[in-house]
Amino acid sequence: MRRFVWASVALALVLAYPLVFSSPFQQRLGALVLLYAIAASAWNIVGGYAGQVSVGHVVFFGCGAYSAMAAYAHFGLSPLVGIPVGIVISVAISAVVGVPTLRLSGHYFSMATIAVAELARLIVTNTDYLGAGVGLSGPTVPRNIFDLSFISALPYYYLFLAVLAITLGITWWMASNRMGFYLRAIRDSERAARSLGAPASRTKLYAFMLSAGLTSVAGALYAMMFGFIDPESGLGILISVKILIMAALGGAGLLFGPLVGAAILVPLEEISNNLLGGKGAGLTFVVYGAIIVLIARFQPGGILTLIKRLWARPRKTPTAIAVPGASHAP
Amino acid sequence: MKFNHILGLLCAASISMFVAGSASAQDKTVKIGAIFPMTGNAASAGVHAKAAIETALDIINNAHPELGNFPLAKNAGLAGLGGAKVEVVFADNQGSPATGQNQALRLITEEKVVALTGAYQSGITLTTSAIAEKYGIPFVNGESVAANLTERGFKWFFRVTPIASDFAKIYYEFLNDMKATGVKTDSVALVHDNTEYGTSVATVITSAFKEKGRSAPIDIAYAANATDVQSQVLQLKEKKPDVVIMVTYTSDAILFAKTMQALDYKPPMLLADDAGYSDPSFIKAVGKISVGAFNRSSWSVGPPGSPTAIIAEMYKKKSGDEMDDTAGRQMQAFFVLADAIDRAGSTDPAKIQAALKATDLKPDQLMMGYKGIKFDDKGQNVLAAGVIIQLQDGENYVAVWPKANAQKTAVMPYKGW
Amino acid sequence: MSTILAQVIVGGLLLGAIYALFSSGLTLVWGMMNIVNFAHGDFVMLGMYVAYVVWSLFGAGPLLGAPLAALLLATVGIVVYFGLIREIMKGPMLAQILGTFGLALLLRYSAFWWFGANFLTLPENIVGGTFDILGLRIQASRLLAGVVALLVTLGLHLLLTRTSLGSKMLAVAEDSTAAQLMGIRPDTMQAIAWAIAAGATGIAGALIATFFYIVPTVGETLAIVAFVTVSLGGFGSVPGALMAGLLIGVIESLSAYLIGAVYKDIVVYSLFLGFLWFRPQGLMGKS
Repeated sequence: MRRFVWASVALALVLAYPLVFSSPFQQRLGALVLLYAIAASAWNIVGGYAGQVSVGHVVFFGCGAYSAMAAYAHFGLSPLVGIPVGIVISVAISAVVGVPTLRLSGHYFSMATIAVAELARLIVTNTDYLGAGVGLSGPTVPRNIFDLSFISALPYYYLFLAVLAITLGITWWMASNRMGFYLRAIRDSERAARSLGAPASRTKLYAFMLSAGLTSVAGALYAMMFGFIDPESGLGILISVKILIMAALGGAGLLFGPLVGAAILVPLEEISNNLLGGKGAGLTFVVYGAIIVLIARFQPGGILTLIKRLWARPRKTPTAIAVPGASHAP
Repeated sequence: MKFNHILGLLCAASISMFVAGSASAQDKTVKIGAIFPMTGNAASAGVHAKAAIETALDIINNAHPELGNFPLAKNAGLAGLGGAKVEVVFADNQGSPATGQNQALRLITEEKVVALTGAYQSGITLTTSAIAEKYGIPFVNGESVAANLTERGFKWFFRVTPIASDFAKIYYEFLNDMKATGVKTDSVALVHDNTEYGTSVATVITSAFKEKGRSAPIDIAYAANATDVQSQVLQLKEKKPDVVIMVTYTSDAILFAKTMQALDYKPPMLLADDAGYSDPSFIKAVGKISVGAFNRSSWSVGPPGSPTAIIAEMYKKKSGDEMDDTAGRQMQAFFVLADAIDRAGSTDPAKIQAALKATDLKPDQLMMGYKGIKFDDKGQNVLAAGVIIQLQDGENYVAVWPKANAQKTAVMPYKGW
Repeated sequence: MSTILAQVIVGGLLLGAIYALFSSGLTLVWGMMNIVNFAHGDFVMLGMYVAYVVWSLFGAGPLLGAPLAALLLATVGIVVYFGLIREIMKGPMLAQILGTFGLALLLRYSAFWWFGANFLTLPENIVGGTFDILGLRIQASRLLAGVVALLVTLGLHLLLTRTSLGSKMLAVAEDSTAAQLMGIRPDTMQAIAWAIAAGATGIAGALIATFFYIVPTVGETLAIVAFVTVSLGGFGSVPGALMAGLLIGVIESLSAYLIGAVYKDIVVYSLFLGFLWFRPQGLMGKS
């Protein structure tokens, strides 16, 4: 009951945020938090739930972003057309890349994903069709509502919220089904899982492909909101790291971890930039970096685990003999 | 009881804030937003831009009779607004188009700036000015050279600097004039990085040269922020072009200069496209081994006592470095904007836009060597011009072309070290 | 024609040696402590700034700069170990990426705040000039860095395999619980390993500063090269990092010269991926 009340309050806050904090900057900040939360939640599927730390996820982000912009720049279509195209391409890439690399152990897998992402960035930088170093632009003046080029951030906010809800819904459904069960087993001990008959390779691959498709949607939405994509902003390694640390900071493998992480890191970066950026002394990143270091040092499991721990403490009734794993939320 | 006290205090506070807010409606300061890369790889340019604009603020907000008839220098503040001072809010674009856009939004909607300037990297200027366009805020750019910036049909975007096609024209004419004096300029190698800067400038130069009947330049492209440029220099050594045109940022420019010396390669003529070769860091680091390098610039210090020399002195005090072309162009754009606000006599963006459209500054009213400031209906300054300068002593650049602006004659061939 | 090709290859070897030099510290901690250090490039950057300060205060070159950088960075390393690394090591790989990424930003922009955004360089002649050997041009500063790379590789390798300290460190890396039972303190060994790695990285930075530019963001450029070198060589293998570095340097140089500089990284990454699929443990890593 308590959980339900808190959940409804949280949901109401999230829905009402842009109406209460209605300055354009605050609305845009909210939209940005949700956008990164989508990307981080998509990453969470393979990085958190499956435990395969991909540091090259930006390649899928870029697929979506470039597909959206190319649809407009080369074919005059609404960038929305780029979303299904981006999903197909990124799922294909994840399948091709996933099969040989998912069998590599932890750090090698991560390095392989970095290499794939960098390769994509280098190839796009040298491909005139995709704008090369100059990049691709979206519609500067929106022709119709499907161009998704709004002045106000309010429509973006609710659109991203809907997509985030879908992403989290898919994640939850996956986690509560057999696939989720296999993933938890694999994350705890792949060898043991395999010996018990779990189809480890296939499960990891599906998680990778699902994650890739959803990440590309985030990329397409990003490109539409900013109206521009280039190799650095669409395929740069910094984006991979950003979504990764958002999931990590919030709590990887937890449903709302990435959202919490995004809700902390995105405003933190914006606000420290607002306050310190103009001085030209680099202090923005000193503060930002220091805070990340502190959180990593004192709460390596992520903020959400801390919250969950604090939440769970009062419930010390004798009847609650916890059966490990039985009652924990995905 | 306590709660009521707090409630009462809050009411009083909010009422006073409202009153204070409306009282400041009669602004005595004009707020302008400046978005530059203050962190990241291009931070050097951003930090210098800040110093340049702060120097300009000093000139505008205080009386500087020693600058003579230089616009906005005589009086303290903007005469057209009753002596109102100009205030600049600086923001960091962090080298990211998204951050640039977010900061532009903040400056427009929260800081309530009446105009914007920036943003150095063309891709960031693109996204940042798009926000200004949506909100109807004038955006004056002084240093981004990508052609597409003025091809968007924007009504609020104004660009003061010459663009890549202007430079291509300058290089073409310069090479022709050098040829007439007996210098061989037939084969040209174009060394450029593959960023939006390097790619767009190289493409424009190549097509301009081909159009005018020159043979296509040898294209030597490389990835920016290289760890090593030996192979590129060896290619040049092999192909032996008459002219090498360098389109590079500071980091790679320094590497190229060092590597050329290491491999003992001296092109007969080296012509740089501003950027890296103009950076004071470059001159300090490798100026002595790049003697004779040509560069294009619109900035020249001028004789001692001239307004440009005084401005250079003020800038050096503020930044610790010599004035370079990029900082100068940014400063000039800022002066153009302030002058337009002054003429508009108002902080209403539409009036400022009209004043910008009507801008007609003469060469003697400028700090840069442009032929004047006049914007066409795309927002581009059609009187933007440049000269060719040469690093003759390894420390300072002097203007050498065209003849009308030359301080010294060009020295050939390239000396290097 | 062939002189130029020889120059390309020699240049590639020297470049590769430098890659190996600044990667040796990284492979040590990655292999021994399983730590992914996203701040590695910024340690190199700090070493470079130490060399710059040494030069601007004392007018001295790497003879003083490198040892000082080693000492200072080793100290920084110990502070960072006890302050951050020890905690995040206990956590998953994600916590390590998170923590070291934050550390990278902190180091990078502290240097930015202190030294500013300008590009700095040490004077050309601080380590001799350029030699002419058999028609090949070799920069003395790069040659020195290459020689030091070999010495550092040899030194670290001997340390790990021939000294008791080294075997203690390896024991902890192999099985820290068992090592504890043998009376070895894992904490101390790991702190020492981390300090040695940081010191080696400091030396690398000080030497690279003699021919490269110094700017707070230089770590970004170098970090990813180090990562690729280390995985190609095999995590934890210092000789592997040397081999990998040399290989990458030559391949980079040759592809830049033969195909074009914009494609050289594509070649390197493709080869790297190929390697990962057929021989994931790298050149000399354990399977």
